[in-house]
Amino acid sequence: MNIRGSISALFLVIFSLFCFGVLFLSVRGHYGNPMAEELNTRYWKEDGPLELSPERGRFALVYSLVEDQSFVFSLPIARFTTPDLGYANGKYVSLFAPGVSFLVIPGYLIGKFFGSSQVGTFLPISLFAVLNGVLIIKIANILSAHRSAAIMAGIIFLFATPAYAYGVTLYQHHISTFLILSSFYLLFRYRSLWVLPIVWILIACSIPIDYPNLFFMMPLGIYALLRSFSLRTQKEQYVFQIKFGGLFSLISIALPMIFFFWFNAVSYGNPFQLSGTLPTVKAIDEEGNPTFPQDAGTQKNEAFFTDPTKQKKSAVGFFKTRNMIQGLYIHFASPDRGIIYYAPIVFLGVFSFPFLYRKHSSFAQVMIGIIGMNILLYSMWGDPWGGWAFGSRYLIPSYALLSVGIAVVLSVYARNFAILSLVFVLFCYSVGVNTLGAITSNQNPPKVEVLSLEALTGTEQKYTYERNWNFLQAGGIKSFVYTTWLRSSIDPVSYYWALVSAIIGVGSMVLITVFFLGKKRGAV
Amino acid sequence: MISFSFRSFSIAIRIPKHIVSTVHQIITKKVLSGIILILVLISCCAFYYFLIDGTALAYNDARSHLNIGRRVVEGLSTGLAQLGSVWLPLPHLLMVPTIWVDIFWRTGFSGAIQSMLAFLFSGVILYKFLELLRVCMMGRFVALAIFILNLNILYMQSVAMTELLLIATMTAGVYYLVKWYQSDWVTDLIKSAFFIMLSTLIRYDGWFLLIVAGGLVFFRAFFEKGKKHMEGSMILFSTMAGVGIVLWFLWNLLIFGDPLYFAFGPFSAKAQQDQLEAAGVLATKHDLWFSLMVYLHAVMYNSNAFLTLLGAFGVLVFIFDRSIRFSVRIASLGLLAPFAFNVLALYFGHSVLFVQGLSGDTWFNVRYGLMLAPAIAIFIGYITHRFSRVRLLILGLCFFVILFSFLSFDAVTIDDALIGSSGKNVSEVSGWLKEHVPGKKGYVLISAASHDAIIFSSGLPMSRFIHEGTGSYWKNATIAPDRWARWIVMRTNDVNDLTFKAMSQTTGFAAYEKVQSFPFADIYELKPEYLRQLQYFHHP
Repeated sequence: MNIRGSISALFLVIFSLFCFGVLFLSVRGHYGNPMAEELNTRYWKEDGPLELSPERGRFALVYSLVEDQSFVFSLPIARFTTPDLGYANGKYVSLFAPGVSFLVIPGYLIGKFFGSSQVGTFLPISLFAVLNGVLIIKIANILSAHRSAAIMAGIIFLFATPAYAYGVTLYQHHISTFLILSSFYLLFRYRSLWVLPIVWILIACSIPIDYPNLFFMMPLGIYALLRSFSLRTQKEQYVFQIKFGGLFSLISIALPMIFFFWFNAVSYGNPFQLSGTLPTVKAIDEEGNPTFPQDAGTQKNEAFFTDPTKQKKSAVGFFKTRNMIQGLYIHFASPDRGIIYYAPIVFLGVFSFPFLYRKHSSFAQVMIGIIGMNILLYSMWGDPWGGWAFGSRYLIPSYALLSVGIAVVLSVYARNFAILSLVFVLFCYSVGVNTLGAITSNQNPPKVEVLSLEALTGTEQKYTYERNWNFLQAGGIKSFVYTTWLRSSIDPVSYYWALVSAIIGVGSMVLITVFFLGKKRGAV
Repeated sequence: MISFSFRSFSIAIRIPKHIVSTVHQIITKKVLSGIILILVLISCCAFYYFLIDGTALAYNDARSHLNIGRRVVEGLSTGLAQLGSVWLPLPHLLMVPTIWVDIFWRTGFSGAIQSMLAFLFSGVILYKFLELLRVCMMGRFVALAIFILNLNILYMQSVAMTELLLIATMTAGVYYLVKWYQSDWVTDLIKSAFFIMLSTLIRYDGWFLLIVAGGLVFFRAFFEKGKKHMEGSMILFSTMAGVGIVLWFLWNLLIFGDPLYFAFGPFSAKAQQDQLEAAGVLATKHDLWFSLMVYLHAVMYNSNAFLTLLGAFGVLVFIFDRSIRFSVRIASLGLLAPFAFNVLALYFGHSVLFVQGLSGDTWFNVRYGLMLAPAIAIFIGYITHRFSRVRLLILGLCFFVILFSFLSFDAVTIDDALIGSSGKNVSEVSGWLKEHVPGKKGYVLISAASHDAIIFSSGLPMSRFIHEGTGSYWKNATIAPDRWARWIVMRTNDVNDLTFKAMSQTTGFAAYEKVQSFPFADIYELKPEYLRQLQYFHHP
């Protein structure tokens, strides 16, 4: 390895350590190895790290697999998982794609060994988040972006977008993003056919992680498939070549798919049954049967809840083009989830598109394709808010790719003080907002639910990050490190400011490097 | 020639360039025939689907259009005077050759056939438009696909409504205008004027296009050719394009005694809007921002939000594209005339459009947003060509949303007809008539202006009804109903229902008893003791 390579590697190691350090300081958790009955308490649920059904559902499957050696949930675990509990063949099962739970099992076991199984389960997600930061840097390097600009892009993605809040808990987004970025990196870094089997495996693996990944991976899949074909002009003829090596590499999707079908068959009795299409159980009565939840309202009849088999769901039923106007508004401009309020800095990535179009059109095509699919699909989704959530969590893969775009923009305008100042201001704001979400809670209701919530609780309910700020000021903080070791030595608000200062401090130093060293390498 | 390489484990197919070139030439030559064939197939399948589905006659207006056409050839008083003054006459005139066939009237085919032909013509014009702008084949196909795979377009081309006819004539009018800008051939100007004239006889949107197109003709002739040339072009264009409007004024003068009867008469849009304003539901009036929002939503619901935004981006790129002549760019913007027209019409209170969630909890006239469908398709086709390096991306994203529009069967125009205010479920009233009237002598007195849907859905011949268009029958029946009408269908206590208005002023109404009451109308029947004096001429 030459000196330049060594410096790059050193920077990557420092970057990874810093990012993992901050994520570790923010990761949510409680000390202890909770048993099924303990999990059903406010301490672990609403007031603790397993606050919402997505992380509960995935953690429940991990717990069930490790502790009960079963795909079917025991009654306490089923109660713990409601209101997003699956129902198949008269048994309670997971409603979530199984990939995440399987991937974090080693984390659960290691965490259990150290007396903190829940934190051990969450930490692999932080690890994936760091890997995503590294991949952003590596992809930006393919575009000849300046090294500092690439590092800045990684920091922006990890700490200046809602990706931060979802890098410290048990959600699928960082793993999905990792699979997208790694496929992206492999395809654009290596031109030969040998990467194709790996890419196909990554694409196939993404489906058990989260079913919509099938669509986000599609631009990568098409790009990979086209590599098996070529068309060139040769004197007076066109030569169309079909490379069978590339086509045969498709076989490699079999392994992840076999696992997926096996899981479906064991859990639901049908290899082709998607968990998302299972009947849902919202509540369980004293006898352990599905029942009518207290907050169900009057819009659905009782049989819908007490006999879940009557529910009819389809894999694409929740995606409606009619929702798109509202969906786009929610993701981009709404105060409860909009990017403009939560991570305005990522908009800067859009300005890279003209450069990419001119110089890296294939790259632009795949990158914008994934972003487009991501935005369009979740704009059509019946619940664009993502339930109770912090920011627009569904767009995390887009934040990652737009961060690559930011690296390009920073490289192009490295010596433009005005633009760097704008980046700095937006960075500070975005870090401030997202650190708030990371160390407090993702339990932010959509604006549409606030009125009924106020009627229910009798108190004013906030639905923006203001809710997180109030929570923090009231002493609410869910960081494992803080609640375990620092509670007596520092107050939550100071802890928040310390984290924000550390991130902004490092970000500022990187940005200064961009300014002073920017043009030396020549941008993009 | 095909060769296999063991080293690279691949096959190579070598095709001589001249063969590719020949194939390309054949495809280019035959492409229009292929497009027409595909459009015919799609059009017929869509018509059949919506006919079987039972939604082909869901629009209240569709049934009224069919009845207007039918009254020209059948009823107590037939003839061209039945064309009336509420709607412009061309769609009804085009029905006349087929509407006399019972099944064509009852199924709506008489009205749908012109929409289907207009769909076909629109597709061809759209393709030709992009050819005129020198857009590549791929761009033309993308635009065509976006237009013909729009579920709202497919539905509206299957029903007896005026949208597709208007889209076809307006797009053709702008196409020939742009062509005239490029070629300077007077025949193109005449063709443009002809299609714009047709559009002025379909809907009032065409009148606005006439003004816009007139401005564009003036702009080009005056600034490029001088005053004299401008005078000649303007006279030629406006004489031909404006003749329809002049004839319409004349018609109103001859039949109703007032050239502006269509605009200010009791059944005019203005009268309807005045009532809505009085009821406090004309929220767009004198609110430009809200008018803009309402129409933009209507456009996005009709043509998909993403495709609309992509089309808008295409407009921006097109405006600044210096590779296209400035005057051609300006002329092409004539495609956006419906946007300006509809926003202004909403602002001035001449039009009403309800978007669910934005202006109340129902849909009404949301189909107006469909008028921009060709413009959106054309500008997306243009950017597919302009950004050729990412055309696969544009293609992919467009088809992604189109696929989901089919999967979720998202057609706002159908919802408007089925659950919105544009539809009217009159099956109870019409079902009663269908059950009780056949086999008995006597006419049904009813206001066609209020209850055309009931007349249509009853399945009775037009000659069983006495309505405003039946001349002396109406006059006599409203003075002495007990001599002429065995049944009266009306909205009791609603003075907008002309039958009720007349009945409230006549003593003969005392001879009736209410036999049924339904949400849309009440039915009264002549008491048995008065039946002997009833006038009735049997109509087979």
